[in-house]
Amino acid sequence: MMWKEKYKIGVPLIDQQHEELFNRVSDFIQTVRKEGAWEAKLEKIKATMAFMQEYVVVHFDEEEVYQAQIQYPDLENHKQAHAKFKEAVNGYVNRLDQEGYSEELMQEFGGKLMAWLIMHVAATDQKIGEYVESQGGRI
Amino acid sequence: MKAEYVNSFYQATSDVFQLMLDIQAERGTLRLLEDMVLSKDASVMLGVTGDLRGTILFTFPKDMVLEMVKIMSGMEMAEIDSFVSSAIGEVANIIGGNAVTILANHNYACDIATPQVLVGEYKSLSVGNEKALLLPLITSIGEFEIALFLKEKQ
Repeated sequence: MMWKEKYKIGVPLIDQQHEELFNRVSDFIQTVRKEGAWEAKLEKIKATMAFMQEYVVVHFDEEEVYQAQIQYPDLENHKQAHAKFKEAVNGYVNRLDQEGYSEELMQEFGGKLMAWLIMHVAATDQKIGEYVESQGGRI
Repeated sequence: MKAEYVNSFYQATSDVFQLMLDIQAERGTLRLLEDMVLSKDASVMLGVTGDLRGTILFTFPKDMVLEMVKIMSGMEMAEIDSFVSSAIGEVANIIGGNAVTILANHNYACDIATPQVLVGEYKSLSVGNEKALLLPLITSIGEFEIALFLKEKQ
């Protein structure tokens, strides 16, 4: 996954976290998809998943705190979108725990995670930047 | 079937393609279908419930699916494997979600069921005597189609 300049919303803290998320998810997908024995890759995959689960929560929390600070009008909808994202990630974590860390399920999760992240960063969060700009650009 | 349904799904598709893939999707000529047999390589089926009921079907050529996932992931994709089909199913799901929002603005309250991705399967769909509409979409990475089988709730 390629981080693009156009994804930036002009709020450095959020932009840095988005870029970090992109790098992590990209790294995760590359590991999941690279050649080699599944067992050998599993440790790294599990570690990345654990990091992401935590980081997604940290990022969403900080984004919501920031949105409250700037009195972002669409905060409630945005919180709901975050809650759905977390729920979807946790749904896969539970399935992986129950059904085992199979390559098939992990590939499926990777595909979804990539689409969710691009949508979150390239579309939903762009509205934060637009709002900041409409308010005179003060971060 | 009303123009609003088609326009809502076209608008949602074109927005999502622009936002997620940086690709423009141009409208081809809308046509009527009696029923339909999937002939393309990959399809995503979305069930619609609520004020409108039926199915929305996206059909893509294989190369286009692989290119879409390549654009998103930055990686070459050789086959429609579970990563690719999951990603494409999710893109369709996001399109469906956006279409639901647009339809709500036209006072239709609808929901979208979890997308089903069909790879290399031939499937025949019909909605009884109702006709379906087929909207071709043209992009720089290939042409695909959206078939709409929708009925208004009585």
